[in-house]
Amino acid sequence: MVMSEKIKPGEPPESAAANSSEPVPDWLTSRLRRMFSDVMDEPVPDEFKALLKQLEDKERGS
Amino acid sequence: MTGHDNFLDQVTALLPALRAFGRSLCGDPARADDLVQDTVLKAWTNREQFQSGSNLKAWLFTILRNCYYSELRHRKFEIEDPDGVCAGQVAIAPDHDAKLHLRDLSRALQQLPVDQREALILVCATGLSYEEAADVCQVAVGTIKSRIARARDRLVELLGDDAALVTGHPVVGALADTEGATEPRSGGL
Repeated sequence: MVMSEKIKPGEPPESAAANSSEPVPDWLTSRLRRMFSDVMDEPVPDEFKALLKQLEDKERGS
Repeated sequence: MTGHDNFLDQVTALLPALRAFGRSLCGDPARADDLVQDTVLKAWTNREQFQSGSNLKAWLFTILRNCYYSELRHRKFEIEDPDGVCAGQVAIAPDHDAKLHLRDLSRALQQLPVDQREALILVCATGLSYEEAADVCQVAVGTIKSRIARARDRLVELLGDDAALVTGHPVVGALADTEGATEPRSGGL
């Protein structure tokens, strides 16, 4: 973070705010992470297993 | 064990992250899973291009993102409206309804421009570094940072008050300096 303090000429002025050490408040980050991990915790649907199996077989066949 | 088996194993391990990234990009579970299927197929077809040792997650995110963008272009074309009949309706933004409840984070995300949304998700939710996110989006690190800052400002605007209520502490960051914006003053009366 410290290394990227230099302001590039083409950057919009907002980038100054983005250079602060914690650009995104904690509550928002934790909400985003939770939203993301909620989906990650879901079981992967069978269609994906079928697809991967198909690719695996293809690979063995070739 | 061959390298390719290993590749498929690694892709399998990354499926949950791909599904989550796809869903936060497009906001629609079924559509997201279609994107992930396309991504897996494309990744497998082009697996020779992947340099082992580099970041497979970032590579797959890049492919998923490309799938999403090409689908977006496709949809745009499909809903093309030469007479402008529907344009008025499509253009109505739910601005009057802009204050969303905190649990509507995914809805709020969908109100962001897609470039801001993906930057925010890649860095804050997927655990990619700024540099990796910049690679995935094929822009400079500074651009990722400014997109995240704008996404943050918009989400704080949409969700900030609720966040303060739910988490029990005042909104940090951008709004912290505006004194007494949301909290009633105890000594004022």
